[in-house]
Amino acid sequence: MTVLLSELSVLGPNGTMVEPVSAEIAPGATLALIGESGSGKTLTAKSIVGLLPRGFRATGAVTVAGQELPVGLRGDDAAWRRARGRSVSLLLQDPFTSLTPVHRCGDQIAWTLEAAHGHRIPRAAKRAQVEERLAEVNLPARVADAFPHELSGGMRQRVAIAAALASDPQLLIADEPTTALDASNQAEILDLLRRIQLERRLSVILISHDLGVVRGRTDDVLVMRDGQVVERGATAEVLAAPEHPYTRALIEADPVVAARSGARISAEEAADVAEAEALLVCEGVTKAFGVRTVLSDVDLTIAPGAIVGIVGESGSGKSTLARCIAGLEREDAGRIVLSGEALAPGRGSRTPDQMQIVFQDPYSSLNPMMSIGAILAEALGVAGRASSEVPAMLEMVGLPAEFAKKRPAELSGGQRQRVAIARALAPEPRLLICDESVSALDVSVQADILALLARLRDELGIAILFISHDLAVVRMIADTVTVMWDGRVVESGPCHEVLEQPAHEYTRLLVAAAMRENAVPADGKD
Amino acid sequence: MSDIRVIGPAPVRRRRRRLPIGVGVALGVLALAVLAAVFGKLIFPDAMHQDILAATLPPGSEGHPLGTDELGRDVLQMAVAGAASSLVGPVIVAVGSMLLGVVMGTLAGYEKGWLDTLISRWTDLLLAVPVLLAAIVVSGVMGGGYWVTVALLIVLFSPSDIRIVRAGVLEQSARPYIEAAQMLSLSRWRVMFRHILPNVTSLVVTNLMLNVAFALVAFSSLSFLGVGVAPGTADWGRQLTDGRAIMFQNPAAVFVPALLIVVVAVCVNLVGDWIGQRLSQVGEEVR
Repeated sequence: MTVLLSELSVLGPNGTMVEPVSAEIAPGATLALIGESGSGKTLTAKSIVGLLPRGFRATGAVTVAGQELPVGLRGDDAAWRRARGRSVSLLLQDPFTSLTPVHRCGDQIAWTLEAAHGHRIPRAAKRAQVEERLAEVNLPARVADAFPHELSGGMRQRVAIAAALASDPQLLIADEPTTALDASNQAEILDLLRRIQLERRLSVILISHDLGVVRGRTDDVLVMRDGQVVERGATAEVLAAPEHPYTRALIEADPVVAARSGARISAEEAADVAEAEALLVCEGVTKAFGVRTVLSDVDLTIAPGAIVGIVGESGSGKSTLARCIAGLEREDAGRIVLSGEALAPGRGSRTPDQMQIVFQDPYSSLNPMMSIGAILAEALGVAGRASSEVPAMLEMVGLPAEFAKKRPAELSGGQRQRVAIARALAPEPRLLICDESVSALDVSVQADILALLARLRDELGIAILFISHDLAVVRMIADTVTVMWDGRVVESGPCHEVLEQPAHEYTRLLVAAAMRENAVPADGKD
Repeated sequence: MSDIRVIGPAPVRRRRRRLPIGVGVALGVLALAVLAAVFGKLIFPDAMHQDILAATLPPGSEGHPLGTDELGRDVLQMAVAGAASSLVGPVIVAVGSMLLGVVMGTLAGYEKGWLDTLISRWTDLLLAVPVLLAAIVVSGVMGGGYWVTVALLIVLFSPSDIRIVRAGVLEQSARPYIEAAQMLSLSRWRVMFRHILPNVTSLVVTNLMLNVAFALVAFSSLSFLGVGVAPGTADWGRQLTDGRAIMFQNPAAVFVPALLIVVVAVCVNLVGDWIGQRLSQVGEEVR
């Protein structure tokens, strides 16, 4: 039943993408592949299921329970169609797109069932089997009749797990299975996977950029960088005593570890900030979309030069609050006051020097048809500044001046986010709103951007409203934190107070999920 | 997966992209057609000269490689001289409806509200009008003529441009870079025409080329029906009508203009597809 990878490598159009990798995974064991985007971990996984993109080719051998997989063949080869599913299944990252939106969840599980059986299953038997599979992932039978959009992200990922396991594979490849989920869902899904894995004696390859996921839930780990394995060994040993400098860098860049090392503003400084005259005051801000209330009676205060964090899950209203403050949404009730001046709700009521926003997705927040220089020159022009200042703006965010000639598509995610920050700072705003601005980035890039924001605050004295679903990230940068849940502020105060003595039940849950050692499952081997 | 596109030192823009053979041939054909449209009347000033003594000569006759029609006009000379009338109208129609589409579609997609409703209902109304029938009726009432047809076709072709531009603008205006532009308090015109429009260019240009092909066929059909160009003008559609009667004596009189219409329309489509593809890759990720 053992899974053997021997000398598995991936060749791409520009040469070798992944150097030969060998590994052995016992039944019921988990191998973690960690590394940043571009490290080759996803390509490795795709080569094992025969889903490499066009132009890529795998060599080497993969044996699952004594049976060799046709890794050298193209993915649409008949041999792959027989092997895929029966011996190997793939669980994808994003439960919001990996399920077909137009089919009921039960049908999607049934497809895998029928494909594995090789024939159609009678209706009644099919229903019973689907319900059984749903029960395995702790979902009620009614989910079978639901469409994916009717379910939450966590439930969808459970459906995806049920579908991936419906063919009873011997090897499951989970590609960043929880990256798209909220902190509290993440732990549940990972624990569920672990339980099923032990019950079924299933081998798992877990791919992640997140050390917190790997810690305590995997047996062995391969650290990959630039298509090469730089370090390997038992998970606990590698994390406790990393040998390769890259592994050490990864561990240090992990927000949980970094926050523990205590690079943070002191309690006295935070108190000083709170006493200073407020830059922005929100009072009783309320907003509903149709019948759904997304913000109810939210109060928020931001002092000049302060970094205020807002934490909450998706759907907690934190982004809507930011958009109301920025004037991109129109609040139904409440007051938003900037430097003593009440701001009218809705678009067109803000001036560029009042506030700017940095969005989550660096891939769509820059105009793809404009050069970086043109983007920055336009933002400078708004404030009456000359475009000759473009190189200075680039330098301020740590980019070389030559970048002015490039287009957004030529930049990495982190570089684009730096450009977005430079654009936001060009009109010299008093408040910078970062709406999940680092969530789409790798941990080490995340750390760089957070350091940049902290430096800009110190140099420019700008106030920052920093919104994130990740408490560990907020903790690294914010002076005060506001916890939102279901459209309400449930707790707020200086960062360390809220995190060390959370008063509200929900905050405790978030803290527990973020400080992952508390969320390690009972059978964890860390 | 987002992971894949960043792997390795990805070549961000591949500059050497070879021209597909089909597109190369199509470009060659279009170049010839344009040359004929520009210089055709200079090369054959007497293309419409009637010579009743040389009427209905079959292809291969001396001095008339493709034969002559009922009135003794040389088929080859007419085909070359007719390029101008057959091509200029469709190009003007396509460009005109594109301009109309860009302005109205962008306004509808970006401003939304009552303006969108007004423009969208207007396009619905126009789409319900059968193009050829309307052209026949209007030409009948207004007395016909080339430029009346051009103006009419611009209006009747514009709904597809308006709809396509509107959809593209709607899609783009939900993107964060547009909200970032709004946060800079840029004027709506700047947002619409500097930020959004370049991102829908590939749609606009592809549709422009499609419309050239459609308009070419529509123009020829109208001329064939006798409501397009005036009799006696060198024009492929007109030539088709005139040649119909002698189809068996000189097949070239019918098939040459018919083939020209089909070939040019196909070439325009091929080139249009290719340009659209190229444009849509500008500024995109390398996958």
